[in-house]
Formats: sequence, structure tokens, C-alpha cells
Amino acid sequence: MYKVKIVVVCGSGVAMAMHAAYKLKEKLEAEKLSVHIDGSGNNELPGRIANYDIVVSNVQVTVETNKPVFNAIPLITGVGENELVEKIIVKVKEIQAEKSA
Amino acid sequence: MSNTEDTTLANFTIDENLILVNESADSPEEIIRKLGTLLFDNGFVKESYTQAVLDREKVYPTGLQARMAGVAIPHTDTDHVLKPAIAISTLAKPITFQMMATPEEKVQVEIVIMLAVHDAKLVIPVLRKVIFILENDDALVAMKNATTKTEVKTAMLKHIESMNKKVK
Repeated sequence: MYKVKIVVVCGSGVAMAMHAAYKLKEKLEAEKLSVHIDGSGNNELPGRIANYDIVVSNVQVTVETNKPVFNAIPLITGVGENELVEKIIVKVKEIQAEKSA
Repeated sequence: MSNTEDTTLANFTIDENLILVNESADSPEEIIRKLGTLLFDNGFVKESYTQAVLDREKVYPTGLQARMAGVAIPHTDTDHVLKPAIAISTLAKPITFQMMATPEEKVQVEIVIMLAVHDAKLVIPVLRKVIFILENDDALVAMKNATTKTEVKTAMLKHIESMNKKVK
């Protein structure tokens, strides 16, 4: 089964990105979804985005992309977190199905 | 643990010298400067830190709307930090910050938690526990209502302790 690759983006790719990444990973693993998650600073994103299927961001993403981009803030505040995670789960399953076919 | 001593958790300092209660400030810049000065005067950050935080806040604002309070978490790159710590200020009246990720939206911030992180990997468990305070309704209310620095510190430490099982 294809392992969906998610990048969590922050201004400097450190503190906030890590917290959101850990949280997201826990939630997805609870759904038995195996994903690969990395953190990235917004500056490095243009050079790295090709390697990922989904972007989850704490900052306005400036690189142009057709990939799905989600606002990570609900993972930081907890407000709207369940709804966000549900949307990401749907997207992960979609991509998994596409790429495993 | 004495109330007058600093408290280090994995070498991460949360200390009354780094806390302001019901502080008056009219802008994000003003409160960021006040907290940055505390961190610098107490030896946690380099002189470049405060300006770096101000610069970063303009590009990547840190206002967040938690359930129980508007909270800002200004910070900057690890290059400007000597030792890890957080500085906290509760505000006499809310200050308007731009919202993280959607800067066109504004947050009425009541609590500012300034992060000084020198090496994220070393302090990530404590840092995560700190960020989790955004979801701890009781802790945010306790902080907002605090009338002394000790009460603010206690609210944070109590929160961190409650996270010890959740975040390793």
C-alpha cells in the first residue's frame, strides 16, 4: 500500500511544525493509516514540495501548487481539529487508492 | 520546588523573572519588546533576538484563537537563543495580533507566550506540552485571571504536569 507523504510547514520549520506533525501522525495512526510526515520551513518548501502528496501549513503557502493544502491551525488550537483531521483522512485514502492502483 | 526559584524542566526555564501580569501595552511590538528584554536581561537570548521576533511576527504572525482566550506565541529562529525558556505576559487589555496562517484575520490576544528555543529537538517534549496549553481551558482561564506572577507560573507548571502522561 502506498505510503502517503505529508509535509507540515511552518515559518522556520521547527517548533510549530513539529507539534502539528506529531499530533497529525497520532490521529492518522489511530485510523490505521500509515503515512510519512516531515516538517519544513516555508522557504525550503518550493524545493521539497515535489516529494509530498499533501501540504499542511501554519503559514500562508507561497509556492504555487496543485497539491492539496490544509490549514494546520486547528491542530495547534484544537478548535476545529476533528473536522480538519477528517478531511485529511479522506484525502489520504483517496491518494492511497490512486497511487496503489 | 520553591516559588521563588526558577524551575527548569529538561533545562527549559519557566521563571517569575520572565513573567509579566496584567501588563499594559498597546501593540504587539510593545509587548514583544518587553518580553524580549526580560529574556535578554536574564541571559537566555542574544541581543538580536527581540528584533528577530518582531521581524518574524510581521511575516509569520502568531495570533491564535484558542477556545478560552486569544493567545500569541511569538518566537524566532534558534540562532538567536542561548538557553531555552518561555516568557509569559498576561495583558491588562487585549492587544490585536494578526492570526497565524491567515494574517488578514485578527485575534484579540490576552496572553502572550514568547518561546526561546535553542535546539528544537532537545526540548520538543516540553515545547509540545507548552503548546498544548492552548487546548487546556482551565489553564488559560487561570492565567487570564491571575493577579500575581506566581499564579501565572503555577498555571503553566500545573498544565505541563498534566501533560506528562500525554506527551513523552
